[in-house]
Amino acid sequence: MIELTETGIDGLDEILNGGIVNNSTTLVSGNPGAGKSILGLQYIYNGVEQFGEKGIFLSFEENAEDLRQAAESIGLDNWAEYVENGDITIYDKQVLLRENDFSSSLELLLGELDDDNYERLVLDSLTMFKLFFETEREQRTYLLKFTDILAENNLTTLMTNEQGTVFPETDISLENFLTDGNIYLLQTPTDSGVNRYVWVAKMRKKNIDTDIFPMEISDGGITVHQNASAFSMMSEDESPI
Amino acid sequence: MSSVDLLQTLGNKYSAEILDATDEPRSAQELSDELEIPIATCYRRIDELTEHNLLELHDNILSDDRRRIKVYRRNVDEVSIDFDEELTVDIEERTEVTNTLDEAWRTLSEG
Repeated sequence: MIELTETGIDGLDEILNGGIVNNSTTLVSGNPGAGKSILGLQYIYNGVEQFGEKGIFLSFEENAEDLRQAAESIGLDNWAEYVENGDITIYDKQVLLRENDFSSSLELLLGELDDDNYERLVLDSLTMFKLFFETEREQRTYLLKFTDILAENNLTTLMTNEQGTVFPETDISLENFLTDGNIYLLQTPTDSGVNRYVWVAKMRKKNIDTDIFPMEISDGGITVHQNASAFSMMSEDESPI
Repeated sequence: MSSVDLLQTLGNKYSAEILDATDEPRSAQELSDELEIPIATCYRRIDELTEHNLLELHDNILSDDRRRIKVYRRNVDEVSIDFDEELTVDIEERTEVTNTLDEAWRTLSEG
């Protein structure tokens, strides 16, 4: 029996067929504004609130205060309290990039992992992490080593990844092969705003629903709608067959 | 490269100052200005230090007037000299993200 980590996000665990495989690394790709960081915040927060699992949030993009505001804006009201009492540990960009020395922050992080306190980790973003390596080959090698280390420390990880066009002209980069799962967040502009979709393209060791599902980001965070017919392109009624 | 050569290079005028200043990447011109080293000497020291792998060419950056400028960064955290048995000079290389991950990963495979 494969053990699963639930995201606690409305509708997402259902299309993941229960959740994310324990100790795996899943890539969350999408273009800016697609909701990658929000998904990460909810994943860590829900871990504490719903499942009593501690989490680590690594952000190269924002500082701790930005993260708190982002969390509170989607109704994760106890974020500050969880950070305060150590259920959520944040390494923000100020810490990670202190004196331009990511190496010492990394040592600090690896030391922290050794204690086996944490079950969830978010890296926001892999795009920035990769900048610390000089060649593509190095990036691949060290991404694999890093995911190994995380798995060995019993962490179930989400890594966000900036990606331009993901659908329909999918540009598949190497990271997609190196990680255990791939979730894409898509957005298309409409007259009234933006339509959002989530597509779980891959999840190693698991049967998943690989359809594309509509999702919303509101005051309460992300909601995935399982009713695929809400996505008119895939509606059975309109099927030509 | 022998240990004596290495010590000689380190002992040359301005060498230590250059290493001290190159925690962050610096160009020859910046070093010359900051440390008040004649520019020709500065280039010569940079070559020597690079040859001994104490300094490394970090990048070719584009200047404001769109010229390529070489910037150098120190490659070493510590140098220790041991006279016991025979003269040895030990260079502690600067810790890098790659080293840190390699180390942690090795521990995994051993464990």
